[in-house]
Amino acid sequence: MCFLCEQFGDPKQGNGLWYLNPTNYARNMYKLRAPGQGFAGAEAGLETGARSGPSTMDLLTAIENDDYPTYDKIRKALVARGQGSQVVPLVDADKVLELCSPIGLIACICRKDSRAIDERNELEYTCMGMGVGMLKWERWPERYKGGVKFVNIDEAKEWNHEMDRRGFVHILMLFGAPYIGGFCQCDYPDCGAIRSAVDFGLGPIKGHYVAMVDYNKCNGCGICAQRCQWGALKFEVTNEKANVDLFKCFGCGLCQTGCPRGAINMLERTSVPAVAEVWR
Amino acid sequence: MTYSLPMGRKFPKISIDLTKCTVPFLCKKCLQACPMAVFNVARVMSKEKRLVEMDPRVDGNYVLHAPRRDKCTVCNICIDVCPVNALKIEVPKQGRSKVETKGVQWGDKE
Repeated sequence: MCFLCEQFGDPKQGNGLWYLNPTNYARNMYKLRAPGQGFAGAEAGLETGARSGPSTMDLLTAIENDDYPTYDKIRKALVARGQGSQVVPLVDADKVLELCSPIGLIACICRKDSRAIDERNELEYTCMGMGVGMLKWERWPERYKGGVKFVNIDEAKEWNHEMDRRGFVHILMLFGAPYIGGFCQCDYPDCGAIRSAVDFGLGPIKGHYVAMVDYNKCNGCGICAQRCQWGALKFEVTNEKANVDLFKCFGCGLCQTGCPRGAINMLERTSVPAVAEVWR
Repeated sequence: MTYSLPMGRKFPKISIDLTKCTVPFLCKKCLQACPMAVFNVARVMSKEKRLVEMDPRVDGNYVLHAPRRDKCTVCNICIDVCPVNALKIEVPKQGRSKVETKGVQWGDKE
């Protein structure tokens, strides 16, 4: 069990997984800003959002200055701040979508930042906003430049499967723990969350599963290696099979859904003792 | 897992001339050409513009910056594609380690 499950999970609901606890999607969890209180974080906009606290840019400066105490301090602050997201495989994503309402498809803020992609076409939306926060999207026209497309549960599931087919990682986002407010579809290097996870060990925590290759079924076609965004899965030349580094595996399940021979099994993280408590 | 970058490493310094680069969200050439997605485009914030949609064609509504310069390989693709020559990359000189290693052989005791 990860620390989010320990805090926000319910043993009676969904095996104690925090994101399968319906309470975390409840309307009264949504934090309303008190009158007169300023904007903070990503809500305030791209630039002020980036400046609302220490960032990885400050981390780089500390590294360049060979200043370990500052580096450690910033890293700890970023770890504490980024405890709000987890990688979720497609099977669990379907269960999540049955719990929340409304669901709105939106353009991705990370791709807008990093590649200046301004999605105006509803078919190109790559992120999902969930819960009551989506109902007031019109207050931030700059953030939702491409608009919002509200969908029902079946449409959302279908869209999620399409995103999985394209090869995006599903990351569940918390907006003020434990309120779950978004579902991101990420890839490296365009997305901020996945990028800070791979480069700095910050951001989203790993999922509750790890991938294990069945060598009897694997024929070494290499499709899973193309789909891994974490640098955990590679083609092992010696025995011509796929090979997973379980310490790097985030349990997104993309290799499993992409495998044409069903050679990859997603095991419970707790069933593999060495990585049972590896969350970053 | 340890992810830490070696302390004391110097990263390439990417300087962006904002008087030349004024409409990055419209041009987006460097943003899409960079193999490591080093660049970011940010919205210029001010109180009155906070809840307004910004026009990318207006000068200075968006600014370009390079927050992910730890991944910059100095391949100079961005400099080649930039239509206004606003970019400049300074290759850093790697500082020497603080520990004096001169004359120490493998197996020597401290």
